[in-house]
Amino acid sequence: MSPTVPAAPAAAPARLRHRRSARRLTAGQAADLRSAVAAAQAIRDDRGYQHHAGIHGLPLPMSCTHGSPLFLPWHRAYLFFFEKALQHRVAGVTLPWWDWTHDHAEGIPRLYARARVDGKANPLRASPIQRSGREPGGTDHTVRDPDGPGAPPLPTRQQLDDVLALGDFLDFSNQLEDIHNGVHVWVGGTMADIATAAYDPLFWAHHAMIDRVWRLWQLRHPHAGPPASLLRRALPPFPATVADVLDSNALGYDYAAATAAAPGPGHG
Amino acid sequence: MVDRFVSAPLELPDPEAAFARADLTFYDVDHSGSSFEARVFVDNADATVETGRDDPSYAGSFTVFGHGGCFGDEGHCDVPSGPEDPFDLSPPHQLTPQVKLVVITDALHRALAAGRREATVTVVAQTPGARPNDVLAFSTVRLLTYK
Repeated sequence: MSPTVPAAPAAAPARLRHRRSARRLTAGQAADLRSAVAAAQAIRDDRGYQHHAGIHGLPLPMSCTHGSPLFLPWHRAYLFFFEKALQHRVAGVTLPWWDWTHDHAEGIPRLYARARVDGKANPLRASPIQRSGREPGGTDHTVRDPDGPGAPPLPTRQQLDDVLALGDFLDFSNQLEDIHNGVHVWVGGTMADIATAAYDPLFWAHHAMIDRVWRLWQLRHPHAGPPASLLRRALPPFPATVADVLDSNALGYDYAAATAAAPGPGHG
Repeated sequence: MVDRFVSAPLELPDPEAAFARADLTFYDVDHSGSSFEARVFVDNADATVETGRDDPSYAGSFTVFGHGGCFGDEGHCDVPSGPEDPFDLSPPHQLTPQVKLVVITDALHRALAAGRREATVTVVAQTPGARPNDVLAFSTVRLLTYK
């Protein structure tokens, strides 16, 4: 009797996608990300990069939430739908996270800082800003001025550990948001204003890091979370409530430092 | 809007009463203009933008991610005042002032160890690049300690 190979379960659990460190992407993963962002930047309708970037800031209305207990849930929903838009361009692509507590000498990861890749402009270095997304007299593309005069330093690992140790969601959210604000100011340029920040491709890596820290905090404090009064709050313009976005696994993603995969023997 | 503010002296807690954490909470912080970092100094009314983070009076900072200005027509950026309509499901106005917090546990311990019974709070605003620093506005600063 030959050994049998069990058939694949009829209803296999959905496979999570993993967001990875921006400094640890494989060459193929980096190329997929550039392709997805470039493709989205080329679309002018509501599937495109400009539409998604404009939700945060200009054109009006600015829908983002800051200085509010909805800061973390709203931005989780925002990243989720932007990532979906990228996956519609390149299947399986995920948003990398920028760990700004490490490699301070490098500053902005090379993935986002290098001007050209393979002889072409790097779409992760800068993005156009649609006319309706510009501040009066503002630039038509994103610019940065990292670690410029007057900028606060990048956060340290100790600052992050201190925040992760907090046991109350509102305290955690408030202090993490302040760390987040400092990184926006450190990057400078169009990243330093709410109106234009999300046009910079680096915005998404910065916020993936913020979302990752929330995920880490949730793992460390499994019985803590937003007050019950917040759970049914809507996160406009997204069709989601706070409760809908609490579990990143239920949204189909998690975080890993790096990933690699190879095909198995199959079931044939 | 100012670029620097020195509070009236705040009464410090009884030095014999232990506390695990001390916060300075800033109420009604304006965030309508440029982003900025607000550096906070305890018991140093002379602190300026030149005073370093290694100064013993440095207590910490909060950072405002600024709106960047008003982009609507006249009245668009006027934050509604008065009682809220309980039937209005609209989100709060984007420019509703914020609450900011700075954990100053170590700085407060230093001030108490130096024998201080009251201390001023100096806040210095620093914007990135060449932007003007007169972006600081808030209604109240309050010292809170927790056991």
